[in-house]
Amino acid sequence: MSRYVVKFYKEGVLRYISHLDLLRLFKRSFKREEIRLQYSQGFNPHPKMSFAQPLSLGYSSSGEYLEFETTQPYPVEEIKEKMNLILPEGIGILSCSELPDSGKTLAAMTDAADYEISIPCAEERGVDINQLVEAYLTQIEIIVLKHQRKSGKDVELDIKPMIHDLKGFVDRNSIMLKCKISAGSTANLSPELLLSSFCSHSLIPYERTEVTIKRTEIYFTG
Amino acid sequence: MVLTNQLDKLLMKVEKPGRYTGGEWNSVTKDLSGIKTRFGFAFPDTYEIGMSYLGLQIIYHILNKEDSVFCERVFAPASDMEALMREEKLPLFTLETKSPVKDLDILGFTLQYELSFSNLINMLDLSGIPVKSNQRTEADPFIAAGGPCAFNPEPLADIVDFFMLGDGEEILPEVCKAHENWKESGTEKEEFLKTLVQIPGIYVPRFYKPVYREDGTIESIERTYEKAPVHVEKRIVEDLNTVDFPEHCIVPFIDTVHDRAVVEIFRGCTRGCRFCQAGMIYRPVRERSKDKIKEISLSQIESTGHEELTILSLSTSDHSEIEPLVQELMGVCRENNVSLSLPSLRLDSFSFKVLEEIQGYKKSGLTFAPEAGTQRLRDVINKSITDNDIYHAMEKAIELGWSNIKLYFMVGLPTETFEDLDGIAEIARNITDLNYRITGKRGRFNVTISVSNFVPKAHTPFQWFPQDTADLFHKKHQYLKDKLKSMKGVTFQYHGTEVSYMEAVFARGDRRLADTLIKAVELGCKFDGWREHFNYGLWIKALEETGIDPDFYACRERAYEEILPWDLIDSGVTKEFLLEENQNAIKGSQSVDCRRGCIGCGINQRVNCTMEGTL
Repeated sequence: MSRYVVKFYKEGVLRYISHLDLLRLFKRSFKREEIRLQYSQGFNPHPKMSFAQPLSLGYSSSGEYLEFETTQPYPVEEIKEKMNLILPEGIGILSCSELPDSGKTLAAMTDAADYEISIPCAEERGVDINQLVEAYLTQIEIIVLKHQRKSGKDVELDIKPMIHDLKGFVDRNSIMLKCKISAGSTANLSPELLLSSFCSHSLIPYERTEVTIKRTEIYFTG
Repeated sequence: MVLTNQLDKLLMKVEKPGRYTGGEWNSVTKDLSGIKTRFGFAFPDTYEIGMSYLGLQIIYHILNKEDSVFCERVFAPASDMEALMREEKLPLFTLETKSPVKDLDILGFTLQYELSFSNLINMLDLSGIPVKSNQRTEADPFIAAGGPCAFNPEPLADIVDFFMLGDGEEILPEVCKAHENWKESGTEKEEFLKTLVQIPGIYVPRFYKPVYREDGTIESIERTYEKAPVHVEKRIVEDLNTVDFPEHCIVPFIDTVHDRAVVEIFRGCTRGCRFCQAGMIYRPVRERSKDKIKEISLSQIESTGHEELTILSLSTSDHSEIEPLVQELMGVCRENNVSLSLPSLRLDSFSFKVLEEIQGYKKSGLTFAPEAGTQRLRDVINKSITDNDIYHAMEKAIELGWSNIKLYFMVGLPTETFEDLDGIAEIARNITDLNYRITGKRGRFNVTISVSNFVPKAHTPFQWFPQDTADLFHKKHQYLKDKLKSMKGVTFQYHGTEVSYMEAVFARGDRRLADTLIKAVELGCKFDGWREHFNYGLWIKALEETGIDPDFYACRERAYEEILPWDLIDSGVTKEFLLEENQNAIKGSQSVDCRRGCIGCGINQRVNCTMEGTL
């Protein structure tokens, strides 16, 4: 039994393919390329394969991770080449490496993630983006309202400790935010919250469907 | 014009955007410069439903095999997407190239269900194509249709330019070839339709004109173009082993209704159930050979990565090599980590052995379709199951540990009385008793009685019968409900009468219904096959506003000598045979399965019927 991790990108129409659909696509790709996955035992065997972090529908990414176990060892280059041969346009393997068994899944080790958020601005506003970012980050607390799915209530949350890094750029008609924020099971910040909080603090109007979000890296502990 | 950028903005706002993206495995892209015929395969429902339909894969494959043809897919957008498209003035588009449908040469709809007619009209409207054929211009695509509902094409006669009847494998490339020739000739659209009628299986409704009597029945059907055939004979592929079957099927990214490898093992059915349209219009039975099926299965599994394989036909167990076939497929599946699913099995000992092997202790529900509650009524409909068969199969099922049994019945069948309904209740009770006798327990066992409403269909021996009125259906449902509700372990399900009533109107409708359909869509009718969308009030309003009495179509008994709107469509089964079977039904006399001897339906006058008398 061998354990591997592939880093892959997801873009174009594949942005509209959900987490579960993507899992099925990988499962079928492995099957078509005859890379034999290890299956779980029990009544309903399923292949041992999981993503480090789910990616929201509509996001693109250049840094996704999938771990999986196979019944026999394969050269990592072979996995990468075979998969790239078969994966549809919009998704591709950037690298593949063996994953030593640490007793923890990538999901459990996920600590933070990088995002690029691009917000189109209709008019030339001549914004000083650096100043806006600085003003935003110098707040003692950054309070947002987070919707609790369980209780159905909105609760106040300080997201400041979850923002590891935030930089702003202006590129012609759009503002680009590059950030590193907490991700994973201990602390997780959705880039959606950062987007709405930053824009409301900086008085930047935006239409959510015009904003594009891309994840560029996931960081792991241990 | 390609609509990708416009589309991209909408996809962020809709549910399941994966419905609209295309780009799946084995979907086809072509360089448009070499293409003579751009064909749109239109499915009048959502992506998830359409992609579960095997016919789509067959036709997509057959057409894209041709170098000069490019077949793209078109589906009905869901309501949220449609609203945005209308708001943003984004026309209906193809999945492959995101081209406006209006740019295609031929848009071909598959008609699987009468209540999808509203979606067809709505899709034309969304494409910016005039709905009525006489309002379309030289710049609009040809609108075509095929599939089982094309066997009574008349409700769509003013809308569709031409219908293709019967098997599509041969006629579709012929139509495209004719289109290519016509395009080179540079003549008007009418000329193309005139050449098309020379291809067997093509019905061009504008070349026929029904003349009505004062009572609304048809006096005669006149031809307005002398070369149009008097009867349009459906197309029949004589040997399934010689036509191509898709091996590189499109694999959807998103979850669809059926997402699995599928091989059609035969077409047609020899059983001759008198209510069943499929059993009449798909004759004769033509089998795909065991080896061919195996070969296709393997190739499909390899090219799709599917985790499930299924075989398709009207009655799986009737394949002449079914036992070795299933054994071998089980082997193929085991080797490839694929599960096998076998629909419409006859519950004989072989089936139980197989089900035991493929399902083991993970038993799904068991379904069984006696269709009618008494032997008398089963004789009327020619469903050759006896009480003995039912109880024997159920006994076996219970012994093997099945605890969820579903039985399908129809109400409103010709000659039905309340005694026949008593029969349904009796079967339910006997099965629960049987379970008690065998297992000694009453709990954890459920029999579901699922009742649908009989809809008389064109080209069947029951085409002359009236449908029960809504009142009578209600009475029957209530009667069954009362009888079954006190029974422990019995669940009762039934279908709404309003949907069945509208089905009955259009199943045997004529061209005067076109305006009703258009009106209904104007009023907001669409996705009428979906319970949550079907709006009976709007349909009634549309019927009233267009001056149509629905009872004339649904609840009227036709005289044998009446000219029926679909009489000019020749399914290969003669009207004399249907009439004889109608009389046999009234007498309660069964006809044999044609494997036991030819019963003279007429199809062997057209093609070789390999199954007759083989048992």
